[in-house]
Formats: sequence, structure tokens, C-alpha cells
Amino acid sequence: MSTTDDGSTEPAPAKDNRALFEEQAIPFMDQLYAAGLRMTRNPADAADLVQETFVKAYAAFGQFQQGTNLKAWLYRILTNTFINSYRKKQREPYQGAIDDLEDWQLGGAESMTQGRSTRSAEAEAIDHLPDSAVKDALQAIPEDFRMAVYFADVEGFSYQEIADIMKTPVGTVMSRLHRGRRLLRDLLADYATERGIAVPVSTGATAPSRRTGK
Amino acid sequence: MTDCGCDKAKAELEEYLHRELSDADFIDITDHLATCEDCSKEHLIGLKLTEKVQQACQEKAPVGLRDQVLLKLRELSAAN
Repeated sequence: MSTTDDGSTEPAPAKDNRALFEEQAIPFMDQLYAAGLRMTRNPADAADLVQETFVKAYAAFGQFQQGTNLKAWLYRILTNTFINSYRKKQREPYQGAIDDLEDWQLGGAESMTQGRSTRSAEAEAIDHLPDSAVKDALQAIPEDFRMAVYFADVEGFSYQEIADIMKTPVGTVMSRLHRGRRLLRDLLADYATERGIAVPVSTGATAPSRRTGK
Repeated sequence: MTDCGCDKAKAELEEYLHRELSDADFIDITDHLATCEDCSKEHLIGLKLTEKVQQACQEKAPVGLRDQVLLKLRELSAAN
């Protein structure tokens, strides 16, 4: 087997491999499950997806290079497994072409044009939203945007790591993140307005639509 | 930059938030945010959004899943 950075030799037998896998990979289960929930949007499929991911990761664990990023490696397997096993079952009409849609087609408003007072109100309104509203909003945005946001904002992956996980150029990651966060922000502002939680005046349809450079 | 710095700041706030900027750009934006109320409010919304998304996505795997996976791994190693 391989030699680790500190010069010690790693034991090769399968049962030690399993102990190592259990010790290193299994602790990521909750995180992978939460990501699986974002992908599949239901608990039963998320649990199946996580189990399948661990089985595949275990089978391939010999190829994992100790000392490199295990979390990113697991997320790559999770993402591939989801695409191959689950995405096909789900109806995502615009999937694949989503990156090519213009902002106005996605229904996002550009609230950089908002004034100062409404912007402090917006931060406060977002702050008061319940987790359920945030989850609903995440579910409502296109999958590729949702996952880019999840990888960056929840998992703290770098843009390059996200690009590797999603098998897409860094520029596309940035665009997905920007648009995903924009949509999320608008949905949350709408939700806050509906619920009467501090109301930003000009998000949504009344905001003058201004394109920013992408 | 010939303008007040707002254009650059607003264009790069998201990368700033995600720590993707070079050190020089990071310092530029930090300096700008310290003096520009408008941009720092915009940045605050971005931070808040990240915080709320993080908070909302803390689900724990179902109790049985861990045992199920461990059992599966045992079966797989036994089969080898």
C-alpha cells in the first residue's frame, strides 16, 4: 500500500481498511445526508443515496489517496451517484439548460437598486425567517444552483472544489452561486413580505430590472 | 479604480464572502466596506443569507442509517 506523509507504512489488509473507512468516512454521514436531502428532496431517497454512496466509496477506498480531501472525495461520489441513480427518476424540466437561461427567465429581480433603509430591513427580515422557509426556498430553486449554494455556503468548499464535485468550470460555479443566491434572496424576501415580517419595499415585480455583468 | 470603489466591491462581494479573492483584493474590499455603508449593508445581507442556509441544513441522518451502513460494509468485507 501507500506510505503516508509522516513516513509510516499503512496496513493493507481488508479489515484494517474497513476500520479506517469507518473511522474516517462514516463521520461525514450527517453532512452527506443533509446534502442528499437537498438533492433528492425526500428523506427516504436521501437515506438510500447516502447508503449507496458509502458502499461505492468503500469499494473505491483503496484508490483514495490518504492526506487528500476525503470530504470532497465523498461528495464527488455522492453527486455522481445521485446523477446516475436518482436524477433520471425526477422531473426537472429545465435541467441541463438551466445555465443558459437569462436572469429574467428565472424570475429573479435585481435588488441592488434598492435603497439603504430597505436593505437593512431585508437583512433583518431574512434573519427572522424560520428554517422551514429557507428549506422551502432551497427546494424551489434549480438543482444545480441549489447544490452550488449548498456546497459553498453550508460545506464551505472552495470554488475549485465545487467545480471538481460538479464537473463544471469554475466560471459556471460562480454563475450558479450568484444566480442561486439571488433567487434564494428574492424568494425569502417574498416569503417575509407575505408573512408580514419586516417588509423591504422594492423586491419582486416592482424593482426596476437592471442587469449586472456576469 | 477611478470610482469610489462601489462597483468593484459589489461585483466581488460574493467572492469576498466565500474567501475566494486574492489577498490584495480582499484587503481592498475590507477597506471599502469599512467606509461604505451601502456596500457593507449589502454584504450583511449576503452574510445573513449564508448563515440562514447553514442553519437550515443541519439535518442528522436517521438513527438506523448508521447501523445499516456499517452492517453493509461488514457484509462487503466478509464477501471479499
